[in-house]
Amino acid sequence: MTASVTFKQRRKLRAPKYALALPSMIWYTLFFVVPIAFIVVYSFGAKDGSKLLPVDLSNLSGANYANVFDETFFKVFRSTLRISTIATIGCLLIGLPVAYLAAFKVSEKWKGFILALVVVPSFTSFLIRTVAWRIPLAPNGFFSKWLVDMSWIGPQGIQVLETPMAVQIAIIYNYLGFMILPLFVALDRIDVRMREASKDLGAGRLSTFFGITLPLAGPGIIAGVLLTFIPMCGDFVTATILGGAKGNMIGSMIASQFSGAQNWPLGSAMAVLMIGAVLSSMVVGAAIVWLVSWIVAHPTPLSISLKRRMFEQSLVRSRAGKGSLLKVDILPYALWTWTALVILFLFIPIMLVVLHSFNGGSSFTIWSGEPGVKWWGELFDGTAAWAVVVRFAVIVAIALVGREVLSRKTLISKRSLNWAGPGAFFLAFIVNGALTDSYRGIFDFAGVGDAIRNSFIAAFGATVIAVVIGGFAGVSLARRPGIWTKFFMATVFLILVTPEIMDAIALATWFPRIAEFPIIGYPFKNGWGPFNGGMNKLWVGQSLYASAVVTLIVRARLAGLDESLEEAAADLGATPARAFRQITLPLISSALVAGGLLSFALCLDNAVISTLVSEAGSTTFPVALIGATRSTIKPFWGVGAVLLFTVTLGALWFVTVVLRRSGSSSSEIAATLAGN
Amino acid sequence: MTQELRILAPDSFREKLNRRAFIKAGTATAGMAVVLMACGGSDSSSPDTTAAGVAGEASGDWSRVINQASGTLAMYTWGDYDDPELVGALAESSLGVKMKVDYFPSNEDLITKLSAGGGTSSGFDIVVPTGPYIVQMVEKGLIQKFDKTLLPNMVNVDPAFLGQAWDKDNEYSVCKNWGTTGFFYDTTKITKELNTWQDFLDACMGEASGQCAVIDAPPNFVGPYFWANGIDWNTEDKASIDAAEDFLVNKLAPHIKAFDSYPSSKLAEGAYSLAMAWNGDARQAYSRIEDAGGTPENWRWVLGAPDTELFMDTFCVAAGAPNAEAAHAWINWILIPENSIKDLEYHGYNTGLKNMEGLISELAPDLVKGDMIFFSDEQVKTMHTQVLNSSIDRFVDILNKAKAKAGA
Repeated sequence: MTASVTFKQRRKLRAPKYALALPSMIWYTLFFVVPIAFIVVYSFGAKDGSKLLPVDLSNLSGANYANVFDETFFKVFRSTLRISTIATIGCLLIGLPVAYLAAFKVSEKWKGFILALVVVPSFTSFLIRTVAWRIPLAPNGFFSKWLVDMSWIGPQGIQVLETPMAVQIAIIYNYLGFMILPLFVALDRIDVRMREASKDLGAGRLSTFFGITLPLAGPGIIAGVLLTFIPMCGDFVTATILGGAKGNMIGSMIASQFSGAQNWPLGSAMAVLMIGAVLSSMVVGAAIVWLVSWIVAHPTPLSISLKRRMFEQSLVRSRAGKGSLLKVDILPYALWTWTALVILFLFIPIMLVVLHSFNGGSSFTIWSGEPGVKWWGELFDGTAAWAVVVRFAVIVAIALVGREVLSRKTLISKRSLNWAGPGAFFLAFIVNGALTDSYRGIFDFAGVGDAIRNSFIAAFGATVIAVVIGGFAGVSLARRPGIWTKFFMATVFLILVTPEIMDAIALATWFPRIAEFPIIGYPFKNGWGPFNGGMNKLWVGQSLYASAVVTLIVRARLAGLDESLEEAAADLGATPARAFRQITLPLISSALVAGGLLSFALCLDNAVISTLVSEAGSTTFPVALIGATRSTIKPFWGVGAVLLFTVTLGALWFVTVVLRRSGSSSSEIAATLAGN
Repeated sequence: MTQELRILAPDSFREKLNRRAFIKAGTATAGMAVVLMACGGSDSSSPDTTAAGVAGEASGDWSRVINQASGTLAMYTWGDYDDPELVGALAESSLGVKMKVDYFPSNEDLITKLSAGGGTSSGFDIVVPTGPYIVQMVEKGLIQKFDKTLLPNMVNVDPAFLGQAWDKDNEYSVCKNWGTTGFFYDTTKITKELNTWQDFLDACMGEASGQCAVIDAPPNFVGPYFWANGIDWNTEDKASIDAAEDFLVNKLAPHIKAFDSYPSSKLAEGAYSLAMAWNGDARQAYSRIEDAGGTPENWRWVLGAPDTELFMDTFCVAAGAPNAEAAHAWINWILIPENSIKDLEYHGYNTGLKNMEGLISELAPDLVKGDMIFFSDEQVKTMHTQVLNSSIDRFVDILNKAKAKAGA
């Protein structure tokens, strides 16, 4: 085949600009736009309990909206917004010093370490961490008893569980990591010279922070606020587990309209109003931010006098500082202490989960006073499980020893040797899977065992979908922008800002309909190969948010690189497919890996969509755990969470090595993870 | 139909239950679980034909047919409602099926989940609805007819619990167990003695305000108001229901701490001082409180009065069950007296087999808190089954409004 033929073919087959984004477009239309549109339609219908799909669409009316507009709904709504707003501000205030320390005050090594400690808790099951808060907060718990003994609180003990306060604490805890990461990325990107220049010109620490650092970090702060505020508004898991009747949030109210009350129309109306309210509160927030920055940036009398005062004060302070040579700079110490406390806060529930997996009693949240491995034995087939651990250890140990030997005796580059650890891990994973009936063999208790397996299968499948369609869409957005970009980005943005509960009900009510369609409906009705309909639904449900995240990460990675390499490849006669494979793909590989990792973690932990769409054979760990919270949670759920955590950390380690191998620093890894 | 129920426990039996017996059996049960685990593991290669789990075998004429099955079996049921052995290792060793159990909080949630699968692909094999809901589930095509040739052990069930109004010929369902509703309170926090639903409601709005929990299922939530006021629980009278709504939503709801159908472990955490509870869950609460280092003697269980609920939960096979054969095999297996009594000992509800009195004295002589499982004739006369009529939509609505109000 000569080059000229290739050129001709290429011209003839020239696809529309958005060709690569087509899979995404179809996916989002089928599983986001249409289902959400149905919710809007349902919201004008009436309840009909006699039908399988309990909606009567023959008489459309606005009656549901009238019903929603009652006093109690607004009260719950207001308390949801209040909890979310306070939690977002709380996360910002708690997270900012940590991000500041990691970005400006520590060496590269410490940077990676602090970030790892902040990110790692997010890789433990969200639900079990939430449940774990019941342990220190229980009125009869050890902490409460200790406080009573010290006479710091009344004899009735801590009265926080089943109140909005418990929800408030846990929500701040659950979303803190999602705030710190984008904050760090934003701060880390600030050119140090800007800050130095500011100080050289006589600005003090405070005026540098408010005048230079904060404005430059603006986009990161906004990203962090969005990443925390929106999911909080739709969160119903935290409120269900800790909130009782008083800590009710709008998410659980909507969910109960769909599952308990079977009143889809009313639930739909609530959901529509909710997304409207979330969007408008974001607009209000944006307006406030804009107003404040406008006032600061423009020479109004107020801002001028403020700036002058700050400047004078800092001059005074810096002169005073120069005067006393012995004055110790306490800022780093304060930051370190704060960061240590935050990390302790992040790890307390995880330590409790590990501890309580060794509880001898019969309830996860209640420490019986007798430690024991009883529940580990209950969950695992001892012999098979130990054999797996031993095989893992032996294979990884051989690889690590081999690496040491090879690096000393031979000239194999250190970089390729870095593969030894993760490679061995992967090999051990395959070997063990083959020997244990795909890991079924290690569990005695199918309830938790299968849930863990299903979680991995669901998260893996959804991640593959997300990486493929998100990757293509990201490339297409960066390389072939056009009018379509605006519409597509609007859809992606909507997917990111729609509270998950809304997607969940939209999909849960859409699947029974789509299952009746020929061909498209088949996988949802009858399953596909060894995967049942529920698993297919999980893949779809979990892939929506994940693919939007991958799209943004890939687009951001490519936006920084111009197209000359691909053009050069084309000039040298490469087909578009070949140019893509050999040029574009390597360029975006680290973005795909990072996006994939983030997707995997998000999907593994997905509770809201999964609960509403999963079926019997596809129950994932979070779904099963939500079921278990309806009665006494047995300690083997803690055991399962510890296992899940360990395996996820293994995957995280693998990916970090991959990223490091491609030469990324911890700042870059964090930046990719945060989607910048 | 309530009149058909017979006295199920002799008075002498109840006297045996004192604190010592409770503690002894409490630890014995825990110990036994571990031993049985070991048995289940070692025997898994050769399925035992006798149902292990309780001491010995019941005398008398019992059907003990065991049909082997294979594959996995998915059950969708209420929380803490089955002995973990019987839905775990024992089922695997005796029947050859791996079981998976998921939980739902109310019949309405069960129906929604099954409907979402289009009635054919929910993936569940065995589901456990409460009797009155069976009519609706049959209409919607959510459950399938039994193959009774696979359920020979059904003869073990007391005829009093067969042929109920919702399924006259037991074509779709068989009794899992029946139970009732009452409440549970901490006598150190609530000093007044509570005996009736009116006492419960008063305490909830008084001494225990902000410390009381109610069951999170529509008919149960509205029940206490009707029972306390001598109104028929199954009323369709609009004025009565309006009055119930006004009381429950506007007066009671602001005092409620949680809507919680299974308060046992949260009671042990110290979360509530007063909780409405089903008898079996309240019985489990005693051992949870013991576990948490609390003092069970401080807690008192009261059967709802003057009237209260009688519910019967049933085993059904879901429509389109992926493993209907195993579903039948398991249901048949659980009706073997030794299994049934083992289950009873765990969940604390009467499983409705024939000659229950004899079975208990032979198989579970150390049964703890039997007075929370078996009730006298007079007590049973005060219990009423729910009839699923037009009022259920209102009840659902009342519960939702109360939730919104309580959270506001």
